[in-house]
Amino acid sequence: MKFDAAAFKLTDLNSVQVRSLGIGVLGLLLTVVGYFTKTEQFFFSYLTAYLFWVSIALGALFLVLLFHLTGTVWGVTLRRILETLMKVLPYMAIFFIPVLLGAHHLYEWSHVDVVAADPILSKKTSYLNITFFAIRTAFYFTVWYLIAAKLYKTSLAMDGGAKPEHIKTLKKVSAPGMIIFALTTTFASFDWIMSLYPHWYSTIFGLYFFSGGLVGTLTLVIVIGLYMNKRGAMDSVITVEHYHDLAKFTFGFIIFWGYMGFSQYLLIWYANIPEETIFYLDRWRGTWPIITMTVVLGHFLIPFVGLLSRNSKRNYTYLKYMSIFILIMHWVDIFWLVIPVLHTSGVRFCIFDFTAMAGIGGIFMWLFWKQLGKHAAVPMGDPKFEESLKHHNP
Amino acid sequence: MSVSVQETAATTVFEEPPLIGGKPTFSSITEKISGIVEGKTKKAWFVLFGLASSLALILFGSIGFLFYEGIGIWGINNPVGWGWAIVNFVFWVGIGHAGTLISAVLFIFRQKWRTSINRFAEAMTLFAVICALVFPGIHVGRVWMAYFMFPIPNQMQMWPNFRSPLLWDVFAVGTYFTVSLMFWYTGLIPDLATLRDRAKARFRKIMFGIFSLGWRGGNKQWKNYELAYLLLAGLSTPLVLSVHSVVSTDFATSVIPGWHSTIFPPYFVAGAIFSGFAMVLTLAIIARKIYGLEHILTIRHFEKMNMVIMVTGMMVGYAYSMEFFIAWYSGNEYETFTFLNRAFGQYAWAYWIMISCNVLIPQLFWFKKIRTNIPAMFIISIFVNIGMWFERFVITVTSLANDFLPSSWDYFSPTIFDISMLVGSFGLFFSLFLLFIRFLPMVSMAEIKGVLPQADPHYYKKHE
Repeated sequence: MKFDAAAFKLTDLNSVQVRSLGIGVLGLLLTVVGYFTKTEQFFFSYLTAYLFWVSIALGALFLVLLFHLTGTVWGVTLRRILETLMKVLPYMAIFFIPVLLGAHHLYEWSHVDVVAADPILSKKTSYLNITFFAIRTAFYFTVWYLIAAKLYKTSLAMDGGAKPEHIKTLKKVSAPGMIIFALTTTFASFDWIMSLYPHWYSTIFGLYFFSGGLVGTLTLVIVIGLYMNKRGAMDSVITVEHYHDLAKFTFGFIIFWGYMGFSQYLLIWYANIPEETIFYLDRWRGTWPIITMTVVLGHFLIPFVGLLSRNSKRNYTYLKYMSIFILIMHWVDIFWLVIPVLHTSGVRFCIFDFTAMAGIGGIFMWLFWKQLGKHAAVPMGDPKFEESLKHHNP
Repeated sequence: MSVSVQETAATTVFEEPPLIGGKPTFSSITEKISGIVEGKTKKAWFVLFGLASSLALILFGSIGFLFYEGIGIWGINNPVGWGWAIVNFVFWVGIGHAGTLISAVLFIFRQKWRTSINRFAEAMTLFAVICALVFPGIHVGRVWMAYFMFPIPNQMQMWPNFRSPLLWDVFAVGTYFTVSLMFWYTGLIPDLATLRDRAKARFRKIMFGIFSLGWRGGNKQWKNYELAYLLLAGLSTPLVLSVHSVVSTDFATSVIPGWHSTIFPPYFVAGAIFSGFAMVLTLAIIARKIYGLEHILTIRHFEKMNMVIMVTGMMVGYAYSMEFFIAWYSGNEYETFTFLNRAFGQYAWAYWIMISCNVLIPQLFWFKKIRTNIPAMFIISIFVNIGMWFERFVITVTSLANDFLPSSWDYFSPTIFDISMLVGSFGLFFSLFLLFIRFLPMVSMAEIKGVLPQADPHYYKKHE
């Protein structure tokens, strides 16, 4: 990997691209074995991995929208990385096909006979049916694609010299874009995760899914940034000040995630209504408490304490390991949401959990590096770019 | 590596006008703000204070009668055991939130425009919380037992129920009030010292001297002060979220349809910020006019506040729609009924007032013309205040009035005392607020000076 500091362009990305693609293809091939040996497990592992990567791409979309709306200064230099992650989001629609094909294995509501025998589920058939489920997902990806494409294109156009119209366009797309993002992400989380338990419901669930994904995005950006810096790329444009602010955001959204998770848990525990408590009871059966407590400690308490001090946010080595830890915990969180539906009696990890992660992740990162290499790696034409480089935390 | 980026045409888009209008200097700011406190009392102030304090007297009179007669003087009935008193409590606690958000959260987000509004928004927080605390206090029925809300050891070995959200409220709101007061006071110290130094009368000098805690404005004092301010901002930030979250659990921990919803904590917080900003806006527009603060509270400040109102209004709208959708999606007939009943039942009028004022009307702020038009935003801010009061009314009353047992259903109608106490609480709030702007600097002089162009160490070199 080389960095052309004059044009802000990354070159010689071949090795990282080939490695990502290799891991991706190998991972997917190994995962396909799962389809023939353990079909159910295959689909659940796949869904977990899929949700992990989609949630990160969605978080990137959110941050780009947020940056345009708030007129951030410090974040400008990081925006192209986020935009590239966001650009990968539409490709994830293709990876949804296996989920759709496996809907019968994943979603209880797709069984007509089960639904017919259940008075509650038969009330929901107008929403929970395969056709509408597919249409909704297609709709989500279409609007995400439209928003992402417009934002990316306009941002690229600014590289050759920003015009006031560009900035106006970006703001004009972002404001309604944010509203659409909020609603589509919420309903996507209802469709893809909440409906795994067709009886269960929680009004905060969309926010829970979103906040977890956002933490994943922030930490992934930290990891990618440090990875490039270590290879001598981008170290002049992403400085310790930017990592400090990224880590602050991570810290903030760790708390936000904890707030969402705790609100949901407290209210369900307190009211003690069977159709709601089932969600937590299933995660307290057999060996599941280990994972439940891991989520609480690893996704909230440890990062909370671990990112509290100023030094912890500015020490590269420490920050790298903390970010990787949080990313793993984000996966554990998704695992904790999805897998108890399959393995009700206790935790069971399967090789396909990891191969699916590597498979989708490899392809995801391959698409990311390929896209990042195509254009300048920073929005160098942005009027606030220079100010962003000089950003300094008091 | 040196980085050079060419100046482009787009640079101008971001060139924002200075935060403070006119040609301010450090001394002109001091003169202006201190002048309000030191000058003669304006006639308008006397008129407003007379009006507000009369209303406050109505509140005290009503409370006196309530103590004599009991809470039966309200319109509460069976099953609507929580009426306007609880609605008012939640409403006032919510109003308070903008102060802490502006002073703490915006401070952490490095939003310099907060400096013009933070002082009186914080004062508003304190007064709103005082108004809020009146209501649960008088709702207990036996007021002489109100101390029992606190975990005071007693010889009967009886303790409050720590599992009750009503007790959490006491702690949450109590902590909130204490920290807000400390934060507000810490911010006041440099300004109090300024007033002390300018005071001519002896008594005035002594009083401000005591409260400014020996502030001399030295380098070391500023260093400590800024650290303390940052730490208090850090402490206050979780409180912005926790207080209204706890208030929301008063409802959400129950099993009553329409109350038990997991989105309640963030939903209440968004609503609180929404209503609080509307109230700050209402007060700021009036104060700015009366005291000629147009150059300190500029249209830019108002525009940013209007954007916050619009965004939080949409968050509230998001929560309304999630509740409605999940009520249907749950397949639970009681949930479904409650929400249909809210929209089309006996309280439909209240529900649609809530939706129009909170979700529809703030959408007008999409237009820059309306966002920067003072009369328009004043009217919208009033609508938001009305809408947020009705939100709490809809939540509290509709879920209780039509409970699980149709034979016990009833309709809540307020009595004269419900109305007198609501109106009276506004009187109390405005009385306290008017006293504040008469005796203390309503804008933070020290912080305003920090955002002036002159605060840049290189300013004078550049402008020689």
